[in-house]
Amino acid sequence: MSYAYLFKYIIIGDTGVGKSCLLLQFTDKRFQPVHDLTIGVEFGARMITIDGKQIKLQIWDTAGQEAFRSITRSYYRGAAGALLVYDITRRETFNHLTTWLDDARQHSNSNMVIMLIGNKSDLESRREVKKEEGEAFAREHGLVFMETSAKTAANVEEAFINTAKEIYEKIQEGVFDINNEANGIKIGPQHSPTNPSLPGAGGAGGSQGSSCC
Amino acid sequence: MEYFRSGLKSVLGAPAPGTQPTGAETVERLVSRVSTSTLLEDRRDACRALKALSRKYRLEVGAQGMDVLRQVLELDRSDCEIIGYCLDTLCNITSKEVFEEESESNLNIKVNVGEQFTEMFIKNAENVTLVLSFLEEYDFRVRWPAVKLLTSLLASKPKEIQDVILVSPMGVSKLMDLLVESREVIRNDALLLLINLTKSNANIQKIVAFENAFDRLFDVIREEGFTDGGIVVEDCMLLMLNLLKNNTSNINFFKEGSYIQKLAPMFILPDNLEEVGWSPQKVSNMHCVLQLVRTLVSPTNPVQIVTSCQKTMRNANLLEALCNILMASGVPADILTETINTVGEVIRGNLTNQEYFAGVMAPSNPPRPAIVVLLMSMVNEKQPFTLRCAVLYCFQCFLFKNEIGQEQVVQTLLPSSTNSTLTTGQLLCGGLFSADSLSCWFSSVALSHTLIENPAQREQLLRVLLATNLGSQPVSLLHQCAVFLQQTTKLQAKIGILMLLAMWMSHCPQAVQVFLNVPGAMAFLTAQTSASEFDNNEEILQGLCAFLMGLCVAFNDNSVQNYSKENLSQLIEKRVGTETYCTKLGEISRHEVYAKAAKQPQIRAKHSSELLLEFEFCKLFKALEPVIIKALGVQRDLSNGMSELSLSEHENALLLQYKELIRDQDKKLQDVHKSLSNLQRENQDLKGQIEELRQTNSQLHDQNTLLKAQMQLSGTAVAEPGNDKVKQLEAELVEKDAELERLRKDQDDLLELLTDQDTKLNAFKNRLKELGETVEDGDSEDNSAGSDNEV
Ligand SMILES: Nc1nc2c(ncn2[C@@H]2O[C@H](COP(=O)(O)OP(=O)(O)OP(=O)(O)O)[C@@H](O)[C@H]2O)c(=O)[nH]1
Ligand SMILES: [Mg+2]
Repeated sequence: MSYAYLFKYIIIGDTGVGKSCLLLQFTDKRFQPVHDLTIGVEFGARMITIDGKQIKLQIWDTAGQEAFRSITRSYYRGAAGALLVYDITRRETFNHLTTWLDDARQHSNSNMVIMLIGNKSDLESRREVKKEEGEAFAREHGLVFMETSAKTAANVEEAFINTAKEIYEKIQEGVFDINNEANGIKIGPQHSPTNPSLPGAGGAGGSQGSSCC
Repeated sequence: MEYFRSGLKSVLGAPAPGTQPTGAETVERLVSRVSTSTLLEDRRDACRALKALSRKYRLEVGAQGMDVLRQVLELDRSDCEIIGYCLDTLCNITSKEVFEEESESNLNIKVNVGEQFTEMFIKNAENVTLVLSFLEEYDFRVRWPAVKLLTSLLASKPKEIQDVILVSPMGVSKLMDLLVESREVIRNDALLLLINLTKSNANIQKIVAFENAFDRLFDVIREEGFTDGGIVVEDCMLLMLNLLKNNTSNINFFKEGSYIQKLAPMFILPDNLEEVGWSPQKVSNMHCVLQLVRTLVSPTNPVQIVTSCQKTMRNANLLEALCNILMASGVPADILTETINTVGEVIRGNLTNQEYFAGVMAPSNPPRPAIVVLLMSMVNEKQPFTLRCAVLYCFQCFLFKNEIGQEQVVQTLLPSSTNSTLTTGQLLCGGLFSADSLSCWFSSVALSHTLIENPAQREQLLRVLLATNLGSQPVSLLHQCAVFLQQTTKLQAKIGILMLLAMWMSHCPQAVQVFLNVPGAMAFLTAQTSASEFDNNEEILQGLCAFLMGLCVAFNDNSVQNYSKENLSQLIEKRVGTETYCTKLGEISRHEVYAKAAKQPQIRAKHSSELLLEFEFCKLFKALEPVIIKALGVQRDLSNGMSELSLSEHENALLLQYKELIRDQDKKLQDVHKSLSNLQRENQDLKGQIEELRQTNSQLHDQNTLLKAQMQLSGTAVAEPGNDKVKQLEAELVEKDAELERLRKDQDDLLELLTDQDTKLNAFKNRLKELGETVEDGDSEDNSAGSDNEV
């Protein structure tokens, strides 16, 4: 299937906060109740539509465990967006956010859009981190914020799509150099040959692209 | 002195004529010049010279120069020329290769010097990071040798280098940037480096893929002319293969990134191919692309991934292009074989693709389905063995989870079909009873695949009738199989037929009934199963006969007189003996042929005689062996008529007692087990420690060898000029002796003088006392102390 743009995402955050579950919910609309520890990195992908344009999301779900940290760092630089996830029922995962953020800022390109996610919102009775705290942290560090549940799927679509919208807007504003693939953005095959430097010039978007899938 | 000289000779080989400096001396001088000279120019010259010596005098340069070279890399990094020399030198000394120049001189050194130096160099991980950083330098004199040095290090210590690169910031991405390098030597060497780096390391494979490897590689492949390109194209595909093999995440990425669409055009054969022919490189390139496709749809991958890749391959017309190759003329046999295997895996278990394949027609006259043409090759003795295996595999893939396909094949055999053209069914039946035992084996297995998990076709196939001799009554296919089984003398044919019968009769009482009615069939099985001797591989035959007997018990509807369930189990018990029977049955899964066949669906054999058991049969056997054992066991239990209900009170008490005993023993057993596993763990630990010690020991041993060599060098280096030095020292000694003598004499004189003075002093003191002056007491001690201090 043809796309207008391709965005690369990474999902980061402590182990067990639900990163893999968020991805699975987003790509397969399924929930996995057992913690299947991620080893290294796993890949997932999905197509979304923004502003009438087909956008392909390529998502790398990283392992939260400390032992994999140096491996997962290799993925920061090439990503256009990051979902930084904590678990609202475990305060320590919230406390670790600054470490994650510092790490991300240090190794990524400066334009990377970071979405802060408080996951497991379905477990209201076990909540340890107030929604307001998440909002405050996001405001303080210039992040977008959402609470999600990978179990009930609440806000999961929105989290991924809103991140894409941010990136898309940045492209429109000309903040991103879309010809530099190191930024985690690619222009779709049918868009690039004519005038790659003008992202808006792609015309009617993916609707008339060749259909191969 | 002479001893050292000869030692040196043996290390350096060349006799040192007269005053000419030896290699080791030169190396030593150069190394000291690099480390002490303040002039860059000087250091550079010395490094150039070291590089020139680093093959012939690898040991000397490595042993003495490693640290200095490392220092230069750090301190002189702004000078590309000197860095280039250093990297080249390091590359030579760490190389696994034995250089021509050195082999004549260093025959006596058995340790792999290159590996030793590699180990020394990478002991400090920062050294590797340092080399990685030189990849960013654009200057050819630096970038190229840096790539080569990393390649060399990787060849000796792959695991260690992988680990360092994995955790060094942007390590992989620096390497990836080299794929867009315009200077082709660098790009091509970087490609080779990446191939080695990505071997069996999923984490690196994923990062490389994340760093847009597939885009880069397809760019290179396009620039080089796709499959018409040179060896670089092959290298690109080898790297892709590394990235994808057993790496589900990357396969998913490959599919989602629409790269399958980029593979498809590579299978379109140009119209003029028959004129230009297939160059060896083109054959290699084609092989690699075929491997790539197979890696994506390999039966060992998760089903979900395979299915979606298969779908994309059909939609991208890749399947179509592959089928065209099957039907094209002039395709080399090994490419054709691999294409058949590939088509098989692209359609395996995917109904739409299987239906597409069934519809492919060969451009023959009259036009025939491609399947028929392929099967004709399978039952043709003149075709290459691997090709025939590939056809069988492809046919199996066609039938895999394909009820419609299975039905279609069986249909072509039924009396109602008045088809005059050659059909798949007829080909298989012909092959089944052919004199060529391999054709028989292939056809049996192929036909058995029409019956897998398909009860309807097992019954349908029973309707198939064969006209044997002119005028005599037609017999059923199964009947003929059972007769042929008794007649043929060929082991391979027998085993093929037995596997077909087993598939057919499992879960199908009607088939069992037909079989039991074949004269001599049961007697044959009994004789085989109870035979106590066997030739090569005949234990498999006997096991299969036992298995078939078991199926006759397990799926028996008691419709044949004399051969009821009960009768047959008694037959087994009386004629064969239950224990012997179970042993024979177990023979199958214990045999190495079984282990080999059960590994993967594809038939892998180097020689036709290796073909005995087959993948799907192994699965069937595994599933039904316990069923048979149970069927026999149940029969026995019933005949004994024993159950807890019928026990008397006394017997019941006894039973309880035994149960208690068993429970006790069970507990003890568990305890023993626990302590056993503890001991095993301890043993394991100790083994680990021994291994560690062994390694340390061997490391020390190697280091010792190195040091010895080094010591010989430095020993002689000192001894040579030492000769003169000793003389000089001796002269000095004489001089010093004389001086000492002189000084001693002086001292004696002085002492005499001192005594004199002392006497005088005492005299003066006495005089003073006499004159009434007070003189301090204990003066002699104080004085001596004072004089001590002054001396
Ligand atoms: N109730 C609830 N449970 C969740 C939610 N998301 C994840 N979980 C559970 O949390 C556990 C961990 O989820 P994962 O997605 O495997 O965690 P992860 O962040 O990928 O962990 P690592 O791979 O180790 O980094 C699993 O048992 C999930 O079932 C959620 O939204 N609600
Ligand atoms: Mg995970």
